Amino acid sequence: MNLNSDKFRALWVALISVFLGLVAGAILMALTGHNPFEGYTYLFQGGLMNIERIGNTLATSTALFLTGISVAFAFKTGLFNIGASGQMLMGGLFATAIGLTWDLPKPILLPIILIASIIGGGLWALIPGLLKAKFNVHEVVATIMMNWIAYWTINYTIPAYFKGEYLETESRIIGNNASLRVEWLTDLFNGSYINLGFFIAVAVIIIIAIVLDKTVLGFTLKAVGFNKESAKYSGMNVNKSIILSMMIAGGLAGLGGATFYLGYSSNIQIGVLPAQGFDGIAVALLGANNPYGALAAAVFFGLLHSGKGFMNAMTDVPPEIGDTIIATIIYFAATSLLIHKFLDKITAFFKGGLKK
Amino acid sequence: MKNLFKVMVIVTVASLLFVSCSKKTEPTAMAEEKKVALKVGMVTDAGTIDDKSFNQGTWEGILKAGDELGVTVKYLKPVGTTEADYLKEIGNLYDAGYKFIVTPGFKFETTIFKAQDKYADAKFVIIDGTPHNADYSEFRAEKNVISIFFAEHESGFMAGVAAALELKDGKFGFIGGMEIPAVQKFNWGFQQGIIYANENFGTTINLDAENIIYQGTFSDVAAGQQLAAQMFDKGVSAIFCAAGGVGVGAINEAKSRAQAGEEKWIIGVDVDQYSEGIYEGEKSIILTSAMKRIDVAAYDMIAEDLKGAFQGGATLTFNAANNGVGIPAKNPNLSADVTSKVAKVYADVQNGTVVVSAEQGSLIK
Amino acid sequence: MDYVIEMEKIRKEFPGIVANDDISINLKKGEVLALLGENGAGKSTLMSILFGLYRPDSGNIKVNGELVSIQNPNQAGELGIGMVHQHFKLVHNFTITENIILGREPKGFKIDLSDARKKIIELSEKYNLNVDPDEKIENVSVGMQQRVEILKMLYRDANILIFDEPTAVLTPQEIVELMKIMKNLIAEGKSIILITHKLKEIKQVADRCTVIRRGKVIDTVDVKNSSLAEMAEKMVGREVSFTVNKEKADPKNEILEVKNLNVINSRKVLAVKDFSFSVKAGEIVGLAGVDGNGQTELIEAITGLTKIESGEILLNGNNINHLSIKERINAGISHIPEDRHKHGLVLDYSLEENMVLEQIDNEKYSQNGFLKKDAIRSHAESVIKDFDVRSGRGPITIVRSMSGGNQQKAIVGREIFQNPDLLIAVQPTRGLDVGSIEYIHKRLIEQRDSGKAVLLVSLELDEVLDLSDRIVVINNGEFVGEVLASETNENEVGLMMAGVQKGENS
Repeated sequence: MNLNSDKFRALWVALISVFLGLVAGAILMALTGHNPFEGYTYLFQGGLMNIERIGNTLATSTALFLTGISVAFAFKTGLFNIGASGQMLMGGLFATAIGLTWDLPKPILLPIILIASIIGGGLWALIPGLLKAKFNVHEVVATIMMNWIAYWTINYTIPAYFKGEYLETESRIIGNNASLRVEWLTDLFNGSYINLGFFIAVAVIIIIAIVLDKTVLGFTLKAVGFNKESAKYSGMNVNKSIILSMMIAGGLAGLGGATFYLGYSSNIQIGVLPAQGFDGIAVALLGANNPYGALAAAVFFGLLHSGKGFMNAMTDVPPEIGDTIIATIIYFAATSLLIHKFLDKITAFFKGGLKK
Repeated sequence: MKNLFKVMVIVTVASLLFVSCSKKTEPTAMAEEKKVALKVGMVTDAGTIDDKSFNQGTWEGILKAGDELGVTVKYLKPVGTTEADYLKEIGNLYDAGYKFIVTPGFKFETTIFKAQDKYADAKFVIIDGTPHNADYSEFRAEKNVISIFFAEHESGFMAGVAAALELKDGKFGFIGGMEIPAVQKFNWGFQQGIIYANENFGTTINLDAENIIYQGTFSDVAAGQQLAAQMFDKGVSAIFCAAGGVGVGAINEAKSRAQAGEEKWIIGVDVDQYSEGIYEGEKSIILTSAMKRIDVAAYDMIAEDLKGAFQGGATLTFNAANNGVGIPAKNPNLSADVTSKVAKVYADVQNGTVVVSAEQGSLIK
Repeated sequence: MDYVIEMEKIRKEFPGIVANDDISINLKKGEVLALLGENGAGKSTLMSILFGLYRPDSGNIKVNGELVSIQNPNQAGELGIGMVHQHFKLVHNFTITENIILGREPKGFKIDLSDARKKIIELSEKYNLNVDPDEKIENVSVGMQQRVEILKMLYRDANILIFDEPTAVLTPQEIVELMKIMKNLIAEGKSIILITHKLKEIKQVADRCTVIRRGKVIDTVDVKNSSLAEMAEKMVGREVSFTVNKEKADPKNEILEVKNLNVINSRKVLAVKDFSFSVKAGEIVGLAGVDGNGQTELIEAITGLTKIESGEILLNGNNINHLSIKERINAGISHIPEDRHKHGLVLDYSLEENMVLEQIDNEKYSQNGFLKKDAIRSHAESVIKDFDVRSGRGPITIVRSMSGGNQQKAIVGREIFQNPDLLIAVQPTRGLDVGSIEYIHKRLIEQRDSGKAVLLVSLELDEVLDLSDRIVVINNGEFVGEVLASETNENEVGLMMAGVQKGENS
């Protein structure tokens, strides 16, 4: 075994998970009377067939990058962030509010908007962080509740202050100077929805990987995540670390909100708890909580979401079954624990077999 | 591994259930012999294909065209409800050869504005909306787009007349979803219908301002039930609900009152909601419904295109005159006398003898 | 023959290590066989095989002369083999009766405990276990919990009892009790295998002793005819010194002064009462006391883990009452915590990362918030070299995979490398083999000789007496007295630990 055997293994587990997911999806297709090979051909064509579709796949993945890394970062530091959806919404709300209120040139406005979205998501995660640190309230419960508080906050705030002229359920459409879409990129990808959010997300993932691996902050947060008590005995400020870790996770999801509402979309809608927040958990699981793993996993999920429509259009698979197939693939892909156990047995078997 | 096996079994069983379900709803089962080249696609709005409203109405019209005209049909469900999601599905339909695309609802306005240029050789039908750009600075429908509107006020008017004639006296109420034009027009038409019945047929129906309420969403079932309960407690005997899920709550309240022996009614909206209101045997609390014949509109557009008469660039209004709005042909809760009187009024609206205003004017809210 | 257990040529390999290399042992009916070996020698693996937790790669097991294949603990149980694990497997909010019948519940919809309860009382009286069947586990002492585990085996009619390091968690008094119980068990015809690395216990209770080193049987000896030194030498592979060699202390200025300290513990009880003492540079002060008499709270107060109620803590003459844990570390306090897994290490971190836990923001190991990986690596390498920390992959070994002794050596190394003015060592040799103990003792004395202050907390009176220059005794949170190690003995300190003031009974 080489030195990186743990990472190597994580990659194997991920690949087997994906394969199993695809097999499960194929079984589902076959059982509903559809040809799996045909289905998958169109699924992947739908996501990759031309430059525009590749762009759309990446655009669909963008928010998943950020919610995935948000969940993975929290995991790495011993926290389970189920609240990425709510943090996305709040990040999106902050970003939209500024985008609709301030009329500044794009190069000035965009950084402000992005920072605002990070603050929005970060503040939203601060509350579960504080509750966890001060009162030991489990963050799973707190973040789930914060999701719904965000949902209703949006439901009230958008119609009250940022309502569209005719669109009761959506905010006004943001101006071009607040949009993450840029013309050269749209043109380069032949009219796709890919936007600056994609590059921001990739950059953020690299930064997070560096923070976790190479900085004192990452070292401290991970130590607290692995063993609170030892971290405390070593003089680390455990409460501060928990709060900070939640805020960073929230900020990442909040930034995801900005890329989604001001990049992929061009306004924020009420009555929707973004599914990306929950898919982020699957992304983190499949990516083995490794930032680059999350990147790959998000692209895969983005491909599935983005190719599904074409598969539905080209085959007789009804959209509802299409959704079920995608959910099955994601579900299986995220059951890496089973694969880990399975690999253990396989390894043991071969070890035993070789000896005799 | 045992667990994995269990999961497999569950998945298998679940898929078998799906097979049995999907067989029933298989959309492409249609008359093979009449096959024509046209492929008609639809992108659904938020909600399911069986939403008893826009999605279902549109799809029923398309399905009918599939059966009777032999066109190939397909609907796609977008991942989300953003313009990007909608456009992606339009792209999918287009790439798969579906070049006649129907989209239900005003949420598709900006989507179609973009799609009409991007897919210039495809034809689009948008229901309840007209293409415009993001900031409303440009309204434009190219030669490949038809916008369809409905005269909701006429539909509301007919429901008002029919309900007033059947119940003769007492108090009525109105619950709207969001305060948007389509819903407002239902309300205003309904009020005019009651006034018309009071003046011409001697009924004494009251519609007080306090019993006209816009709930603010199309989804809050619980709020619908509460509002209906309050109105019923104040002596209201029939409520017109143009409110989506909010109306479902009101229907539930009326059903439980009917089961307890009270006589309370709901007037349905968009489609014939009679079956929604059944509380015992065949008895329903749906007095009548103010319908928009979305299915007719979708079917007609396809039929016209096959004849080479696609009215690209036009904004069409479906109203009483072209049978695009009205109440259901069969209303088990209306007496024969009422039905025949209503039919006469409908004819008057059709020929212009009776004019229903689409504006608020002196009406309440 | 009259062997109840015969294990022949048992072989078990794990990735990269041969845990059991053709080991053969046998157990006679009615004897105590000790399995002696250093941490990681392969004793626990061998017993896990006997108990059905692992399957051997090769070799045979005979029970009562019959060849058997033990697939799981239930089969072991059917063969009359029972095991008391080092970490008890008990449900804390169940009563003792409920715990004992767990897995062997009487059949039926409603569980009738009365028969079980009667049998437990009978067994308890027969073996003098003194167990109250209706008490909940969370309310009883560790020693009592162990007796519950023993009862659990007896309830299941086990005749062959395996004890895995049974004394590691017990107080000296409880150890004496356990030895008596083991003798009772033998008298009633049971046979016992005792896994341990404590020679004294073997001498007290065992009949024969099989010594295992690095997965191999070195020898099996009659305990009566062997000296402690002989057995130790066989276990470690070299001569071991039992007496701590040290010069006379030369105490200088006071490093730590504790004045009238009061500490309230987590149960809101005053755990340290008006306590005063000091530690000088160049001496080792031993804090002696029975477990749970306020030592933990006192140490936590000094290191900053617990807030104090009143009193004063001075380090080098400065009041440190209000300093954070971090600031106290920086001010020169190092702490070898009692529980290395829970408090001393991040088990999922590598060795090198653990070596810099407290100092990661020191500019030696990081700059502008970025880690200096080379400096961290070379620091770990020095600790490894200096303290003879053995591990599979050196600095990048994940600490979880290291043996307890090496984990402890790493912690001691980390703390001493900080060159603290005050080194607090709590149970620094708990659960370690004699080789490691000897080594750690040597390093603590070196620390003293280089003019630093050392505060030693240990439940093992021998260790306190051997290592300390001065002994402070705590009982029920109160200062009982202070004696010079050179002028006292086990008896005197033992009495003081029980709360008897020095000189009171003379």
